[in-house]
Amino acid sequence: MSFEPKIVGFLCNWCSYTGADLAGTSRIQYPPNINIIRVMCSARVEPDFVLRALAGGADGVLICGCHPGDCHYSEGNYKAMRRYPLLKTLLKEYGVDNDRVRLEWVSASEGQRFADIVTDMTERVRALGPLRLKTDLQTDRVER
Amino acid sequence: MATNKLQVAIYWGAACGGCDVAVLDTNEFILDLAAAADIRFWPIAVDGKYSDVEAMADGELDLALFNGAVRNSENEHVAKLLRKKSKVLVALGSCAHMGGIPGLANLATKEEILLTAYLANPSVEPGNQTIPQARTAIDGMTLEIPYFFKRVFRLADVVDVDYFLPGCPPAPVQIRNVLLAVVKGELPPRGSVVGASDRALCDDCPRTKSEKKLKAFHRPYEIVQDPTRCLLEQGILCMGPATRSGCGVRCPNSNQGCRGCYGPLPGVTDQGAKFLSALASIIDSKDPKEIDEILAGLPDFIGLAYRFGLPASTLQRSYR
Amino acid sequence: MEKPRIGVFVCNCGTNISHIVDTEAVRAHAQAQPDVVVATSYRYMCSTPGQETIVKAIQEHQLNRVVVAACSPRMHEKTFRGACRHGGINPFLFEMANIREQCSWVHQDRLAATEKAKSLTTAAIHRVRHHRPLNSLSAEMCPTTLVLGGGIAGLTAALELADSSNDVVLVERTDALGGNLARVDLTAPHLDSARDLLTEKLTRIASNPRVTVLLRSELVALSGFVGNFTATIRGPGGNGAGPERQVRVGNVVVATGYQEFDAGRITHYGHGKLPNVVTSFEFEQMLRAGRIETRDGRLPQYAAIIHCVGSRNREFHPYCSRVCCMTALKYAHELKSANPACYVSDIYIDMHAFGKGCEEFYKATSEVKTLFLMFEKNEHPVIRRAGPGEDCDMLIEVNERLSGERIEIPADLVILMVGVEARSDAAEVARLVNISQDREGWFMESHPKLDPVATTTDGIYIAGTCAAPKDIPDSVAQARAAAARILARISKGRIEIDGVFAEVDEDRCSGCRICNELCPYSAIEFDEGKRRSHVIPAACKACGACVAACPSGAITGHHFTAEQIHAQIDGVLA
Repeated sequence: MSFEPKIVGFLCNWCSYTGADLAGTSRIQYPPNINIIRVMCSARVEPDFVLRALAGGADGVLICGCHPGDCHYSEGNYKAMRRYPLLKTLLKEYGVDNDRVRLEWVSASEGQRFADIVTDMTERVRALGPLRLKTDLQTDRVER
Repeated sequence: MATNKLQVAIYWGAACGGCDVAVLDTNEFILDLAAAADIRFWPIAVDGKYSDVEAMADGELDLALFNGAVRNSENEHVAKLLRKKSKVLVALGSCAHMGGIPGLANLATKEEILLTAYLANPSVEPGNQTIPQARTAIDGMTLEIPYFFKRVFRLADVVDVDYFLPGCPPAPVQIRNVLLAVVKGELPPRGSVVGASDRALCDDCPRTKSEKKLKAFHRPYEIVQDPTRCLLEQGILCMGPATRSGCGVRCPNSNQGCRGCYGPLPGVTDQGAKFLSALASIIDSKDPKEIDEILAGLPDFIGLAYRFGLPASTLQRSYR
Repeated sequence: MEKPRIGVFVCNCGTNISHIVDTEAVRAHAQAQPDVVVATSYRYMCSTPGQETIVKAIQEHQLNRVVVAACSPRMHEKTFRGACRHGGINPFLFEMANIREQCSWVHQDRLAATEKAKSLTTAAIHRVRHHRPLNSLSAEMCPTTLVLGGGIAGLTAALELADSSNDVVLVERTDALGGNLARVDLTAPHLDSARDLLTEKLTRIASNPRVTVLLRSELVALSGFVGNFTATIRGPGGNGAGPERQVRVGNVVVATGYQEFDAGRITHYGHGKLPNVVTSFEFEQMLRAGRIETRDGRLPQYAAIIHCVGSRNREFHPYCSRVCCMTALKYAHELKSANPACYVSDIYIDMHAFGKGCEEFYKATSEVKTLFLMFEKNEHPVIRRAGPGEDCDMLIEVNERLSGERIEIPADLVILMVGVEARSDAAEVARLVNISQDREGWFMESHPKLDPVATTTDGIYIAGTCAAPKDIPDSVAQARAAAARILARISKGRIEIDGVFAEVDEDRCSGCRICNELCPYSAIEFDEGKRRSHVIPAACKACGACVAACPSGAITGHHFTAEQIHAQIDGVLA
């Protein structure tokens, strides 16, 4: 059976989640590998959420917020923008490929862009193969 | 051994010995303890054998203080033994609590560590080809030494722990208070962190705090510090905001940033990730390039954020 | 916490969901989850019988948690929260799984889509277990309103509020009320006098004791939150350093208007160089003075009107300025009335005549012998001085689109229909009152269609051309709408504050002050005495920035708590 990556998406309510909804109302197709979790703002996404998703079996995590300058909360997305490079540094040090975690800006009108990002990310993560953190952590307990 | 004295064991796993010293650093109190308690097992201070512990009845001990992480089969064996023999098991110090400094070894594989320690290290005898094995056959007999695990574990990863007493090492006064609580039977619910505050270090730190915006990070020697002002505001990395208080503000009072040894605040699942979130949020820039430049001033972020708690972090180890 | 008793309701949405997602399989999957007491699927969950199903199930099964797997929560979260309330449980003990917009409508593989719908529903079940009942709070509503800008929109809003016996503070930066309308002669399409329109308003403002007019004044700071703002207004004084006063206001109407496009930016129109190339506002001045003439005092024989100066152009502004086409027709009409022998050319891209009475006006004007020439978008007619042998002052070259020919027409007077654009100080105003601007600098509505006068900051409303180009009727309508919104809130006396906000647990706050700088709404205050931070619920918009950043985990973002989101993450990966 071919590998189907599991991707968890954290989308801000005002731009990106609405953009994802627009992809729906416009019937723009994208791979079903992503499961979306709604947050009010990309600033709510804690690095801890990303780590938890990866440790819990996700092969990739997508964070989407409003474009810089267009945040519903005026500057929330800049907080996401600041955390992201440090999170990537951390993941690299953990030995997790940086392509597995992505921060993108998707506006409420960019249904197509959202679908394109998900499609692209699904393919990239598929190419990277399964992450297996969950099984690795389970194995650690058994085979010390 | 019928006695109403407190039956105590103290043990070190993968540890430096600092926690044992911290117990001794309770000064005169240790004499009170010796008077009030039978120290049944304490390898660093008292002669004794594992077989002595194995011979005890289950629950015969009132209290076992386990310091150090779990790195090998010996550590695990004694952890399980003490768990069985003691009514109360306390993870003493950062290593038992979160993996501690030895936990940073989870960034390397077992093979890498053994290679570095026994073959590739400049201090080993040139030409050495020997890496210790768990089992070695000699003259038809088998010599066994503890098995070196693939990674470091916290005490709670291998046994149920009743209390966690954090710190590298725990402040002697906190050890004293916890021991007194045990004697008086005034312990909080099992599973609690004891001997530490539910507030972050900043609560006790005397430095003045104001709103925070960071344009650059500095090593302590790079700037002239204002000794009265919050270190983080001066660009010096301080884990204080993400770390339980209880140590007596040891590091910031010595003009060094807090290193996080008292661990995360209650309800925080990942101390390093929480610190990352806080630290990055107050970077004073909206330009991705400038943000990268500012962050470039942070060497070895994982070593900073998880100096004492990598095995306790969400990802626990490297996946390279 | 009581043991969760969860009801799960899966919607077919006609066939919108069920044609791709096996909703029965999702229902059965949900039914098998721990704590799920009842799981039902239905054709239209949002319909009255659908909602009744939920209400009945809550009562019949003593449910204390509800999950609806249907469309986007942006569509029907409110609906189902209402159903929960009707059923007798707190509306926040509810969670939605979006299996339509983010599942059945975007996937074609029935099996994969069904699995995904199961995951999303499971995540909602995991999450809802951790939901807590939330109740709204209330705060005082100060009945005074601050109106920024004394143009037609600001005046209208101020009067509407004052006529209902509420105090208004009207702040105008210049030394006179009237705004851009005061610069206009007659208005299209009915040719009413702008002066008449304004005079009536100005008289009423002057005689209404409820309205305090502050001329040559500007807002310099606004703090607080809806119902309880404090505005700092700087009055007239030397070098912008006049005396400051503070006013308590409950709401703010931003009606700061627009500025005209600087015609000099299009160099080959020669505005500022060629004496008889004038902007529409300069031409209005002539009309108001009652003399249409060239710079040297001659009656123009040839007049040309050029549309879309700065508008509908990729180099300057992509949008239509909306008011210029009808104004141009008005000019053609007025030129002809003043001098029937004048040749009028109207050089345009498209004729936009969408307003009430506008198409009729276009028809009537085109019958009075105006030469209409159409040019290509993103191209410009070129104006040059005529030679000594010509009987006109200037010549205009147009690539005429309908004939496909390059046409040269004479002109003694050229009127440039300058577009409207966001004021250059709009960013400053946006920052002061904490609202957003779109790419073109216009203030953004809370929702462009459904909530066009509110903004994303509660208590701040926008009216008139500060939000987008619009004509007088639209500006007036928007101003009255803003006033009506405010009146409705004032009449309640107090404001309800949504139960979703951030809250600092002061027993856990260390006073590190990391959060202090992060709130865009200044909702976090630091108590120097207690050395703790706290959140003002009414000012909090629940973005969660401080929640994520608090290194102590001492801030709870209600309804988006770490434990709720963790449960959801675990749920989608279960």
